[in-house]
Amino acid sequence: MNEMSPPSAGGVSPETQREIEQFLYYEADLLDRFALEEWFGLLTEDFTIRAPIRSYTHPGTEHPEFSEDGYYIKNGHTMVRERVTRLKKEYAWAENPRSRVRHVLGNVYVTETDEGYDVINNQHVYRSKGDTADNDTISAQRETTLCDTDDGFRIADRTVYLDDSIVSTDNITLPLL
Amino acid sequence: MAKSLSHAERLIEQTGTDLENGEFPLKILNDESIYHEELRRIFTRSWNYLGHTSEFEEPGDYVRRHIGEDPYILTLDETGELHAFLDSCQHRGAQFCTADKGNTSHFRCPYHGWTYKNNGDLQGMPHMGESYQALDTDDVSLEEAYLDTYKGLIFGRIVDEGPSLEESLGDLTYYLDVMFDITEEGMTVVTDAHRWESDHDWKTSADNFAGDNYHVLTTHQAGFEAENIDRGPWEELPPMEERKGKYNHLAVAEDDEGNYAGSLSLMVSYDNDTLMGYPEKLRDHFNPELSEEQIELFSQSLYYFGTVFPNTTIIHAIQAGGWGGPWACIRKWQPRGPGETEVISWWLVPKELEDDEEFMERSYRGWESLSPGGAFESDDLSIWNGISDSSKSVTLETRETSGNMQQGMDGMSDGLEEPEDPMFGPAEVTEYGGYYDERHSRGLLRAWYRQMSKGRPQPNGDESDE
Repeated sequence: MNEMSPPSAGGVSPETQREIEQFLYYEADLLDRFALEEWFGLLTEDFTIRAPIRSYTHPGTEHPEFSEDGYYIKNGHTMVRERVTRLKKEYAWAENPRSRVRHVLGNVYVTETDEGYDVINNQHVYRSKGDTADNDTISAQRETTLCDTDDGFRIADRTVYLDDSIVSTDNITLPLL
Repeated sequence: MAKSLSHAERLIEQTGTDLENGEFPLKILNDESIYHEELRRIFTRSWNYLGHTSEFEEPGDYVRRHIGEDPYILTLDETGELHAFLDSCQHRGAQFCTADKGNTSHFRCPYHGWTYKNNGDLQGMPHMGESYQALDTDDVSLEEAYLDTYKGLIFGRIVDEGPSLEESLGDLTYYLDVMFDITEEGMTVVTDAHRWESDHDWKTSADNFAGDNYHVLTTHQAGFEAENIDRGPWEELPPMEERKGKYNHLAVAEDDEGNYAGSLSLMVSYDNDTLMGYPEKLRDHFNPELSEEQIELFSQSLYYFGTVFPNTTIIHAIQAGGWGGPWACIRKWQPRGPGETEVISWWLVPKELEDDEEFMERSYRGWESLSPGGAFESDDLSIWNGISDSSKSVTLETRETSGNMQQGMDGMSDGLEEPEDPMFGPAEVTEYGGYYDERHSRGLLRAWYRQMSKGRPQPNGDESDE
């Protein structure tokens, strides 16, 4: 789990904070619009994405609340490539018809590291699907490692800490993370 | 109540009649009164999967599990015996289990402090000396389910009625041995389970995994078209459009009384080197108690997907298209209301391989492929939700509409031959079965009909027709 350290330990300049937030909003818009090829272009080649299983434990037990060896998704660059390709197909029923997705990001907390930036943000991802009034909100905290390259920020690593211990939406596809 | 019961009875009877012609009333996939009776007539007296012995290492280890919709706690007591208690204090019925797993010697009710040992006996309560002087604590213990285990798989039932677990698994034990007892040390559950809620009826998914390969071509086509990943032993087989269901077999197993116990779809390569994509070293650990035929069957396998009646699904497979594995999985289709299910999916591996990182990575990906985050399952879920939505419709009820499961009946299907090879075991096995034969669906629903038409169990445990 990603505990924040006090701001004085690694605060970044208002300009950096703003640039990173702008990047996250841009990226979220790509996900919301299913512009997954463009989104994929923002990933480094050693990129990994994870969404660990969350269990319901007593405070103080040795068993971690977020699993350290069990995930709903744990994929490197190659598998994410396959997923992006797959979601474009007619037979990918999970997103055909596509969900209407809306990311709302907040609490963006940036720490400078040797490799770049460690970015924590909270998010509510709204999902509406099909010809129905039903909808889901997937609440999560996300931790992202960003590198600063000549082409701008690139995403090197991401963990999505879901707030549910029982997943309550049909399926977890890439645009929802 | 009387009115809704007769509605349920009518649907149950329609199921019996429809099944003679390979059909079934679509309405039973989302109907309040049917669901109400399923909880009482099926989940009380069937063997419900509760957990695996590898989840219990120390005395006091416990997990929360359900029978039907009832909340139970599965515990290992101080003497090493397993119990399953209803999470309901004998004082005022409060729940006292507040985590989904943990370790404790006692459970203390948060309401008035009644305390129970992890074997279910009442230990005591606050002010016992002042307020419960004449109470015999031996008379108070938690409601306990009847448990039985087979090869590490723990099952429980509320009513101790009908055949033992092993009798009720019947011919299915041959395949359970192959799937969950292939090595000397047995299988072990790796991590926390995947859990998700889905708007589909438990019968829909139980039926899907009971042997439905027919859906794979349509539902999962996007998954098979992966381009850049190694397909493992699948590379050795002709592509799907040429195979046309060859190599796939449907096995329908009976219990000791000749009723449907469960069924599975199994894929073999007819090549002993396939070994489901496991590393060769697995052979060094083969369980010497298994027969030569069982070892041969496992060696030639690519996958097993099956269902144990009523709502346990069993998997041991390497995923097609390069999406990971081999992995083993036990899944429970936990009823959560008419047309609603919570899915719980546990990942298992042979204990001997749990420290092999390269293998564990591949095995994890197979398990992930059939999860809400997976490239395969996510497509099923969208479709199953639609079944649930339409099945509650008044149209289906008013017109008594029947769905179809006639594949393999007289004059319907070609090529369904029973293989001669004894490795296929005691069940009724047909080649091409998973694609062109729906005996598994008819068997599962016949087992459902049998239990539903028995009526509810009596409060004292005797059977009743009422």
